Amino acid sequence: MANYFNTLPLREQLEQLGKCRFMDMSEFADGVEALKGKKMVVIGCGAQGLNQGLNLRDSGLDVSYALRPEAIAQKRQSWKNATENGFTVGTYEDLIPTADVVLNLTPDKQHTAVVNAVMPLMKEGACLSYSHGFNIVEEGMKIREDLTVIMVAPKCPGSEVRAEYVRGFGVPTLIAVHEDNDPKGEGLALAKAYAVGTGGHKAGVLMSSFIAEVKSDLMGEQTILCGMLQTGSILCFDKMVEEGIDPGYASKLIQYGWETVTEALKYGGVTNMLDRLSNPAKIKAFDLAEELKQIMRPLYNKHQDDIMSGHFSKTMMEDWANDDKNLLQWRADTAETNFEKTPAGDVEISEQEYFDKGILMVAMVKAGVELAFETMTAAGIIAESAYYESLHETPLIANTIARKKLYEMNATISDTAEYGCYLYNHACVPLLADFMKGIKSDVIGKGLTVEDNGVDNARLIEVNTALRSHPVEAVGAVLRGHMADMKKIV
Amino acid sequence: MGSIRLDNILFNKVTVNFDDRFTLSEINWTIDPGQHWVITGTNGAGKSALAAVLAGVGEIESGTITGLPQNVGLVSFEAQAELIAKELKKDDADIMDVISLGTPVHEMIFDNCQDPELAHALVEKFGLNQLLDRAFRKLSTGETRKVMLIRALSSKPDLLIFDEPFDGLDANTLIMLQEHLASIVDTIPMVMVLNRFDEMPTFITHVAYVDKGELALTVDKKDKSAFNELYQLLHLKTTDLQVPEADPANTLPALDPNQPLVRLNQATIKYGDTVIVDKLDWTIERGQHWQLSGPNGSGKTGALSLITGDHPQCYTNDIFVFGFQRGNGESIWQIKQFIGYVSTALQWEYRVSTSCKNVIISGFYDSIGMYSKSTDNQKKIADQWLALLGMEDRADQPFNKLSYGDQRLLLIARAMVKHPPLLILDEPCLGLDDMNRQLVLALIEKICEGKETTVLYVNHHAEDQIKGIENYLGLKKNS
Repeated sequence: MANYFNTLPLREQLEQLGKCRFMDMSEFADGVEALKGKKMVVIGCGAQGLNQGLNLRDSGLDVSYALRPEAIAQKRQSWKNATENGFTVGTYEDLIPTADVVLNLTPDKQHTAVVNAVMPLMKEGACLSYSHGFNIVEEGMKIREDLTVIMVAPKCPGSEVRAEYVRGFGVPTLIAVHEDNDPKGEGLALAKAYAVGTGGHKAGVLMSSFIAEVKSDLMGEQTILCGMLQTGSILCFDKMVEEGIDPGYASKLIQYGWETVTEALKYGGVTNMLDRLSNPAKIKAFDLAEELKQIMRPLYNKHQDDIMSGHFSKTMMEDWANDDKNLLQWRADTAETNFEKTPAGDVEISEQEYFDKGILMVAMVKAGVELAFETMTAAGIIAESAYYESLHETPLIANTIARKKLYEMNATISDTAEYGCYLYNHACVPLLADFMKGIKSDVIGKGLTVEDNGVDNARLIEVNTALRSHPVEAVGAVLRGHMADMKKIV
Repeated sequence: MGSIRLDNILFNKVTVNFDDRFTLSEINWTIDPGQHWVITGTNGAGKSALAAVLAGVGEIESGTITGLPQNVGLVSFEAQAELIAKELKKDDADIMDVISLGTPVHEMIFDNCQDPELAHALVEKFGLNQLLDRAFRKLSTGETRKVMLIRALSSKPDLLIFDEPFDGLDANTLIMLQEHLASIVDTIPMVMVLNRFDEMPTFITHVAYVDKGELALTVDKKDKSAFNELYQLLHLKTTDLQVPEADPANTLPALDPNQPLVRLNQATIKYGDTVIVDKLDWTIERGQHWQLSGPNGSGKTGALSLITGDHPQCYTNDIFVFGFQRGNGESIWQIKQFIGYVSTALQWEYRVSTSCKNVIISGFYDSIGMYSKSTDNQKKIADQWLALLGMEDRADQPFNKLSYGDQRLLLIARAMVKHPPLLILDEPCLGLDDMNRQLVLALIEKICEGKETTVLYVNHHAEDQIKGIENYLGLKKNS
């Protein structure tokens, strides 16, 4: 199988990368009609598979689950998930031949095997749906010509997909049709109906392409989302300990700090996150972020270039073929870092304190989000896609660190994200070595020690303007507006 | 168990601020050794706030408190909701594809337990043995409450604070709890927030009445006349209730008058070998009001969720609701449009920042939070409901800043706002004070008199019977 993206001429590559349109509510007037009475068979019953299935069924659609015979015979968790929720469960042979739509909701790494097993069983003219385009775009999987291939990707964890639906709402969703596989021209209608069935149309749907989804998703996850948080955690922790701060306190500040500061990001973008700081601290964070952006820009460019050229997926698939040697070594190394081994201390840290004493963390998030966004849009990805794959998902990943630190993050993100994170961290830690030498506890661990909060007016205006006029803020304000009602008070 | 504390707790002109959303003003209060207090008052008066101050919550703006104990055992709806929220948050956190099962009950009880021996005995007494491995958030409301009680009782506390300890417990558990409390009166001082005077344990010595953030009265139980006045004050009954009209623009598809509203045929819910609802046959005809009762864990909420469509196993049962035989391509929104629903669980799930008025209007859309533009008429009807509840002044306040009881009243209005063919009230009085309880019960009676809404009422308290309900279904605990 050859990299699909690389087989396309430049003109088409650019056209596909640039596909992204925020759809209007009126485009979903037909509801789930296109899927009514059709047999939908889900493969995989993890959090996405189960929760999407529950929503689709509650929207009046016919949903069942195809599992591997071992999973059924051994009554594995996936089998329990499906049967306890009252779904019909069968083997591929039982269910796939009857399916009008097959929903592939297994992890990326299994896609080639799953699709190869499923494709020969699918009936003429049926539809195969993905929630991530890696298999098609990077692995170059060729799907039978009579089959329609679509993608429907809710941009939230499975549990949230369900919780928002039950409340009468939904989560932002990305849909796409693989144009090489749309023989009957019904791909868009099916994808729209699927998005309605999961409730996604109420929270906003982006019409994208397989290529734009893959190239932006990979970029986001390996740089700002996982890579930056991992690198930042390790560097900030070691610096604090070096500065004589209690390791328990340092560990807690980082473990919960990412979640706390990115919560502000979720509500009001980079601007709001920095607005949570005092004026002197805000200017300090801004300056640090500018410096970080300058140092890290070549790295972000390299990641985007390697993703575009297919070099990234090639090296990763080589590691897959080599029994995940690099990946597993990396997991083991992460478990041995000082941050990971130091439990969070039993100290009270108020919400505001995470900002005041985590100025460098705020700067790292700002630098990472903006760099990822700038690099993606410079590579031809549309701002809306770039926003979802950078800023929007950062709080979700930060939450996994709050649960059980980096191990939890790496265990729960996809294999592609974890491998990308590994590459990023290996390059970024040495890259920031000199920068970190100049860092003291005033920006990480202790907070600024200023006499008063006075600042120069002109400089403050300059910083505020720069913050507010970054392109990620403009697109963010629009997209968050569509999701305004989703905001939870927890 | 420790010996009884010798110091008294002394509040001297204490003003306490709770996140700028509630203030207790100039509290003067003395709790002497050997006293056991009940704090009472209307919803939103500050009862729970006063109790929480004893547990060290709130920011003291002025005045002094001396003698506050170190180790306080606290049981309250707020604390319960907070624990549940914490558990839900853990679940929310799953990022890609892992289903979190939540913390098991044994961990909730025995991690950091000061008196495991007592905890074991209470687990046995409260019948939680079989639930020890179950995830805490999978428990029913009453079961969660029992876990909270055991945690507090076995923490070797210097002071026990109970905010509505008896609500949500079935009769047997209630008796056992009261017996246990009676056995420790000589060793641990207790302060309880109670809405129901008839539940006041005999060992209580004093009553504090809180009104509008002030400690308005303290009454020694031995002073009979003062005690009776207070009782009356709380029993004040609202008269002349007028239920606001339905919205004429909100028309439902017509139902066949010859068909029942609901028919469950041998309905069963089970997980592996654990049976939650066992072969239940139940037909609800139009206009036939029902009361459903049963101990904690008898499957009351499970049975209801089969009707509302909230339980996934409704697709594997023979269920007929509002003209739909379930599992034939209908959506849950087609079912829910016929139902008004109130429960404690709904209140826990209603964690969105929206105004009180929007909460009522969301009843027209069966949503938690508002995702559509409301009409002028819907707004008008919401205003009428707010007036009925005496909450006009709070129309634009955020729902989640209201007291627990006020939230409940709003959710009942939300359920009734569309005059649904079926109104399900799952323990609607849980956590309400006497006055609001009377108000709610009177409201329900009014609805029962009308022809358009059939009421399905679930409760523990035998004394909360509703005029007009003549059909009873009792569920037994499944072993």
